[in-house]
Amino acid sequence: MPVFRLCMKIIRKNLSSMMIYIAVFLILATLLSLNGTKTQETGFSQVKTNIAFFSEENSPLIDGFRSELSKTANFVEVPDETEKLQDALYFRSVTYIIRIPKGFTQSFMSGKNVQIEKTVVPNSTSNAYVDLTVNQYFNTAALYVKTVPGITQENLVQHLKTDLENSTSVAMAADTKANANQDFSVYYFNYLSYALSSVLVLGISAIMLVFNDKNLSRRNFCSPLSAGKINAQFILANLVFTFVCWAVMVGFCFLFDYRNMMIGNTAYLILNSFVFTLSMSSISFLIGNLMKERSAISAVCNVVTLGPCFISGVFVPQELLSPTVLKIASFTPTYWYVKTNNQIASLSSFSLSALSPIYCNMIIEAGFAVAFFAVSMVVGKKKRMSN
Amino acid sequence: MIIKVNNLVKRYGDLVALDHLSLEVKEGEVFGLLGPNGSGKTTAINCILSLLKYDKGEIEIFGRPMAPDAYDIKRDIGIIMQNVAVFDELTVYENIDYFCGLYVPDKGERKKLVESAIDFVGLNDFRKFYPKKLSGGLLRRLNIACGIAHRPKLIILDEPTVAVDPQSRNKILEGIERLNREGATVVYTSHYMEEVEQICTRIMILDKGRMIADGTKEELKAMITLGEKITVETFSFSKENLADLKKLPNIVSAEYRDHLLVVKSGKGQNNLETVLDFLKKNGVTFGKIYSELPTLNDVFLEITGKQLRD
Repeated sequence: MPVFRLCMKIIRKNLSSMMIYIAVFLILATLLSLNGTKTQETGFSQVKTNIAFFSEENSPLIDGFRSELSKTANFVEVPDETEKLQDALYFRSVTYIIRIPKGFTQSFMSGKNVQIEKTVVPNSTSNAYVDLTVNQYFNTAALYVKTVPGITQENLVQHLKTDLENSTSVAMAADTKANANQDFSVYYFNYLSYALSSVLVLGISAIMLVFNDKNLSRRNFCSPLSAGKINAQFILANLVFTFVCWAVMVGFCFLFDYRNMMIGNTAYLILNSFVFTLSMSSISFLIGNLMKERSAISAVCNVVTLGPCFISGVFVPQELLSPTVLKIASFTPTYWYVKTNNQIASLSSFSLSALSPIYCNMIIEAGFAVAFFAVSMVVGKKKRMSN
Repeated sequence: MIIKVNNLVKRYGDLVALDHLSLEVKEGEVFGLLGPNGSGKTTAINCILSLLKYDKGEIEIFGRPMAPDAYDIKRDIGIIMQNVAVFDELTVYENIDYFCGLYVPDKGERKKLVESAIDFVGLNDFRKFYPKKLSGGLLRRLNIACGIAHRPKLIILDEPTVAVDPQSRNKILEGIERLNREGATVVYTSHYMEEVEQICTRIMILDKGRMIADGTKEELKAMITLGEKITVETFSFSKENLADLKKLPNIVSAEYRDHLLVVKSGKGQNNLETVLDFLKKNGVTFGKIYSELPTLNDVFLEITGKQLRD
């Protein structure tokens, strides 16, 4: 099989440039795996919010409130001056300022409509917990004031303390339970798309460029080896190269994350990466057929691989990308690959209904492979005819 | 008959590249296709090898019709293209091994053939070199080794000495003669008439896709009226002298330019003596005088009215 052997030699000759991508990828994977050894949070633990608390009066109700608030907030001492308070909010030393106005307790105990002054950092999620505590405390208190006429502040605080200590047991539903730490695998397989596509584009287009050389293709045509045999050996060589690249890169994942390799999610990640590999090898075929200069390979490789990775969520999560960007990205297989990886990571049951969107995405990826392969065949034939 | 081409016509749009070309190459010949650039030599070779579709005509090689899928025929053909066709990614040895491997699947046999080809073209010291490290001449030799390593019965060389230094050119020409002595039939295209004269046993001259002459070099030279070209270096030769010289018997033409008198005479003996007598009789002093037999360029010039290298 002279053509097959030749393809392998061409790949060996270009191995150094491919190894750069693999090496960078492996270094990142190693760093990731080292960072990923901490145990994952399996339950919920609340983080306390830093708040500043100012009360212009003292009463058992306010003391009780302060005590209840201390369960969800840290009290930070800030001078009660407008500028200092603004600085504290700006530098995030506090994210919430509560001010109890004078006469608040009396108005509240007499059932009047009262308000607490609050100043917050906009869009701070932790403030929601403080709001929740404030509302819970005073709504419950208002209920007692309304239903138990003449209740003393001390009794009210006692009742509130007992009531608010109650907690509800929550059982996590299967759909929301993370059954294993998939963070590393997902990141690994997402980033794999960049390294793998770069290596495939470099390798396959290098082979194509050699075989598309007019003089060499004419010289091959003069040989007694039929065009069919030459093409068969050529395609076989490219497929072997593609499979080896995929196997090596997936193999490293076994090395870094062997604990999670036997679970179903990882099997689907591997399957998805294989489908993606096929679509990228088709794209590489097309690039190889279109390219005329060896020096252009690296540049084209960067554009074709880096571009889709940026807009498809390989480097930046898809959730953070704008809908317009994602819409554009959906014309690349990388987008569907990353989307599928994310879906696979959140899988907890492997029922048909859970898997059907994943299979759909994989079919789209395979569609890209078929489409690009068909186009590259047409381009390749045109090129051969012109030779 | 090794190659038989009958009435071959190839058109590129309105341009007729080959105009009813017919040729025959017999076994053991070194057949030269000579013609200026654009005369149709490479087109003819490409059609013979089925690299190009042609509009009309028949081509037979080894007595069988040639076609793109005539793999049995291709097995016995060695082709050395005008443009060097080797892989930059492979060493000298690997390149020859690859091209030989297209014809010879057996590894052991191939090894011997590759070694022999390397010996043949004198690339022993460069076997581990990559093509980019080779000079133009060495690269041409590698190109030849790739074409002949499988010991073909028919070797087609399309201008193999273009842009090659004289030393490498001689080596290549010697190699072709050796291949022929070892039994290969050779088709050699070139626009260098000296090369064709040196190695070809039969020559066909092409111009504008048409055969204008065919035969051995002696036969071709016999086709023209020019028998001898005498060149005299002299500093004093008047117009009257020139007119008188032209009147002498068997003188075809005479020109005096840049202190050189060029006299072309017809076939026959004593032409040089006649010119010498004339010079002596008219008191013309001269430095050098030499006589040349007609070249293929003269043949081409007389038939087409233009130089071979125009």
